[in-house]
Amino acid sequence: MLKATLRSFLAHKGRLALSLLAVLLSVAFVAGTLMFTDTIGSTFDRLFRSTSADVSITAHNDVAGRNDQNFSGTVPTVPASLIPQVAHLPGAAAVNGRVALAGIVLTDANNKSIGAIGGAPTIGINWNPGPNSPVDLTSGTAPTGDGHVVVDADTVKKHHLALGQPLHVIAATGGFPVTLSGIATFNTTNPGATLVFLDTGTAQRRLLGHEGVFTSIDLTAAKGVTHEQLRDRVAPVVGSAYDVKTAEQTAKDAAQTLGTFLSVIKDALLGFAGIAVLVGVSLILNTFSMLVAQRTRELGLMRALGASREQVNRSVLVEAALLGLIGSTLGLVLGVGLALGLIRLIARGGMVLKGSQLAVHWPTIVAAYAVGILVTTVSAYLPARRASRISPMAALREADTPERGAPLRVRAVVGLVVLAVAAGLLVGAATDRNLGQAGILLGGGVLLSLVGLIVLGPLLARPVIRAIGGWFPRVFGPVGTLSQRNALRNPRRTSATASALMIGLALVASLSVVGSSIAASFDAQIDKTIGADLIVQNSTGLPFPNEVGDAVQATPGVGLVVRGQGTRGALVAADGTQKRTVVVGTGPGLDKVVRIQMRSGSVAAGTAPGHALIGSNYADAHGLHLGSPVTILFQSGRVGTLTVGGIDVTDTNPGGLGDEPVVASTTLRQYVPGALDDVVFVNVAPGASKAQVKSALTTALAKDPQVQVRDQSDYKKLIRGQIDLLLNLIYGLLALAIIIAILGVVNTLALSVIERTREIGLLRAIGLGRAQLRRMVRLEAVVIALFGAVLGLGLGLGWGLAAQRLLAAKGLQSLAVPWATIIAVVVGAAVVGLLAALGPALRASRLDVLDAIAHE
Amino acid sequence: MAASGEPAARGVALSKAYGSGDTAVLALDRVDVEIDAGRFTAIMGPSGSGKSTLMHCLAGLDKPTAGEVWVGDTELSRLGDKALTRLRRDRIGFVFQAFNLLPTLTAEENITLPGDIAGRRADGAWLAQVVETLNLADRLRHRPHELSGGQQQRVAVARALAARPQLIFADEPTGNLDSRSGAEVLDFLRRSVDELGQTVVMVTHDPNAASYADLVLFLADGRIVDRLERPTADAVLERMRRFDVRGGRQVTLPAPED
Ligand SMILES: Nc1ncnc2c1ncn2[C@@H]1O[C@H](COP(=O)(O)OP(=O)(O)O)[C@@H](O)[C@H]1O
Ligand SMILES: [Mg+2]
Repeated sequence: MLKATLRSFLAHKGRLALSLLAVLLSVAFVAGTLMFTDTIGSTFDRLFRSTSADVSITAHNDVAGRNDQNFSGTVPTVPASLIPQVAHLPGAAAVNGRVALAGIVLTDANNKSIGAIGGAPTIGINWNPGPNSPVDLTSGTAPTGDGHVVVDADTVKKHHLALGQPLHVIAATGGFPVTLSGIATFNTTNPGATLVFLDTGTAQRRLLGHEGVFTSIDLTAAKGVTHEQLRDRVAPVVGSAYDVKTAEQTAKDAAQTLGTFLSVIKDALLGFAGIAVLVGVSLILNTFSMLVAQRTRELGLMRALGASREQVNRSVLVEAALLGLIGSTLGLVLGVGLALGLIRLIARGGMVLKGSQLAVHWPTIVAAYAVGILVTTVSAYLPARRASRISPMAALREADTPERGAPLRVRAVVGLVVLAVAAGLLVGAATDRNLGQAGILLGGGVLLSLVGLIVLGPLLARPVIRAIGGWFPRVFGPVGTLSQRNALRNPRRTSATASALMIGLALVASLSVVGSSIAASFDAQIDKTIGADLIVQNSTGLPFPNEVGDAVQATPGVGLVVRGQGTRGALVAADGTQKRTVVVGTGPGLDKVVRIQMRSGSVAAGTAPGHALIGSNYADAHGLHLGSPVTILFQSGRVGTLTVGGIDVTDTNPGGLGDEPVVASTTLRQYVPGALDDVVFVNVAPGASKAQVKSALTTALAKDPQVQVRDQSDYKKLIRGQIDLLLNLIYGLLALAIIIAILGVVNTLALSVIERTREIGLLRAIGLGRAQLRRMVRLEAVVIALFGAVLGLGLGLGWGLAAQRLLAAKGLQSLAVPWATIIAVVVGAAVVGLLAALGPALRASRLDVLDAIAHE
Repeated sequence: MAASGEPAARGVALSKAYGSGDTAVLALDRVDVEIDAGRFTAIMGPSGSGKSTLMHCLAGLDKPTAGEVWVGDTELSRLGDKALTRLRRDRIGFVFQAFNLLPTLTAEENITLPGDIAGRRADGAWLAQVVETLNLADRLRHRPHELSGGQQQRVAVARALAARPQLIFADEPTGNLDSRSGAEVLDFLRRSVDELGQTVVMVTHDPNAASYADLVLFLADGRIVDRLERPTADAVLERMRRFDVRGGRQVTLPAPED
């Protein structure tokens, strides 16, 4: 029996090829994703472990958050005076002060920003080549004094920098000119950052604002002393104002942050792989259904010769498992290629995984084979069961008996019930105010509506295809009639083929609805809240030196200029509970540049010195009124009690002023000295032209390339661009599922052409031309693809609508249906059909007429 | 219709070889043949004698290895696939032994298919006459699987007639039918010649079927070995026996039906 199975497998290898391709692609996606994320994970593990000091001391600050992202000029620091206190401790072999601060800007002589692309930070570091330094000086000299920097080799190479070249560093205190004195090369993985090394004094003065402070103090343990022992000796000396961590803890903290991020990426990629797998199932199911149908006689003969049902069943399943095995093996190989490709891709983005081997862990291999074999055997199960039901008599009968599935009535009832439940869930998701619950409802609704439509597909095929192809006979004559009827010949096969496409297109449609709704909502929000003519801001939202605001104020044509600061902090309630928030500082005139809806008081009164403007939600929750005292914990750790001068209506919309307290800049700087601007609002002076002022500002700010001057429409474009980027990324990932769906259409057509060889011979004999025959096959493909597109768009619009209503609760009120995308999907589906038909149509038209007529 | 006296189709020194070298089979061996317009011609011969090959060559479905084929005043050897397809579509009708109809089309759609492919307007009166003659009026909306074998073959004959081709080729059109349905189909072919003025060429190995024809051509080993005008079943059977004996060959013929 096994021999017979193997022989039949080999005999059908041509017809199994497309199924094999589907398994291969799905497995490759799964395996590639796992290898890629594992590789990044293990590379960074090693990086963190090798670069962490044995024991490090950092400032303990709950409010400020992670200091490496903070560029407000108020970085939590450790005084250098701690060094002699810990240096003499037994077991401390070496003690070094370290300055490391992200968010600086490096520019060339033309004020062009030099830095990693894609948001990777530019980090300023004091040059201190200790044992844990991730870089070695490979050419030039170490930085000395104010005027020299060493830059990492990857950045030097990418921007074609040369030793001695004049550069410009923009830090908290402003910009200063430097010369490139040396080049440092990563001895481990380059995580994508741009590293700028300064001598220690310069780093302290320019980056931290004071000499005599560090961002951390690193200790090296002496031989025979464990990191824990050293930590336990250091901790009591420095006291509770500082965190003392071992290398393991530091690495673990760093890895945890990265790990969360990595696992999000991994889950997303695996999600797309899952969709591809799902689509692959329908392709394999179709192939095996057709193989079984074609082999009715052969299987009947096996039964007549005494093979039991189980044996027939098993022979089909073994064939499927064999396919899965081969597909998984090839998929694993392709997965390695895919992972290497992804690594090369991110290397172009700056993250060079150097000297790191590809991580192929055994769970990856298990997952690959599990996916491949499971998918094929599960998809072959139904056809196998049907095969085992073939009576021995089938060997003697004509093989042309139509397939029988679940009775139509049962199918209709099951499908409609599932769809009704799905609709209920989606409506529930759209109306539920509880976001978490609504999300679950949405997920359930999406899944069930998909299942419902797949079940109903064969029943929908007739009416939908009649509607789509109704005009074919009139336009294409008998070729149109034939193609439309051929598509309807086996509604189950047609709908299985179309559902594969439906899944991908439904996701495209729903996400495009969500994306454009979000963009439209932001547009509305920008119109509603931004009153300023122009806004100067850093694209990453980070603060910038005060020289920027000064330059703005000095630009001719500007009228009102309002400078804003954002710092971390917390609102402290009467009972001492803290609510973390951003504390906003503003110059006078905020209400002229931002539209704020007031409950009581005024913006001017709220932002008067010693006063605060607070949100209505917080005021209500804590019984605060105009004149009430409100306590704020600032990021410096200082606590201030201010007077409520205004209460604004809490706007929870994205971009809206939520419950963040707003105070005068002068007040903010009393508690957070040196807090930097992160936004400058500009109204043009009466009579001045906005365009002229904008270009004047752009010129004035040329030496600060990190900040941009934007008006409202620039902001809208910016947000739209970001959403489009994300959508395109998602469409790119969905492309795999769509490619597999196209393979499915090719598969179905190819098998149909084989099945209908005699018919094709007859048509050719009675005078159908080759071109007409090709058109017939193409039209059938187009009909199937459009059927998939119609179902997919219907489903996707439903999902999109439900998701948009759900997001509306989060403030994304506008609904926008991107008709251009929808039309593109329909046209694209037709093109997909045409492409899929290329091979099968050619094959059909090349059939020899006489051979075809004589075909059994 | 082709002018009388002028043959509807002609084969001149037709040869057809399959394979090459030692295994080569000469299916047709320098055959000269004329198909008279407005007559019913039967081609007879034992299995493997080259009947189908001859028909395929005359109908433009196959290319002879040597020789010329004329349909009316068109010589086929120089025609490409497009021209041959158009010739079959516009000037020739086919009835095959089995699988004559497209399962997705109704009887009526099958009948008008060649005309539809050509983009011609159907001649309603003629179509009605054909349908009437073949007694198919109440079957037009049926799909092939709802028709009996005899009805299916009648639809095929109707399709062949509908476009008023110069020539109708039928390859064992009754081979799969019981004797009554077979007789019906043959009767209709006969009437299409007598009443509608068609030219019909039928391949058969059944002497009874051949007796419906005006002329029987006998084929053996790829050559026309004899001809018989106004045949009867007995005369055909007799003639087959005679040249079998003369040729010293063993030929198994099906037992006459009934
Ligand atoms: N495609 C082919 N390849 C090789 N030999 C063929 C082919 N078609 C027919 N023949 C051979 O040509 C001869 C005539 O065949 P055919 O015309 O089909 O005979 P008939 O129709 O009289 O039974 C036979 O010997 C047959 O084996
Ligand atoms: Mg034959």
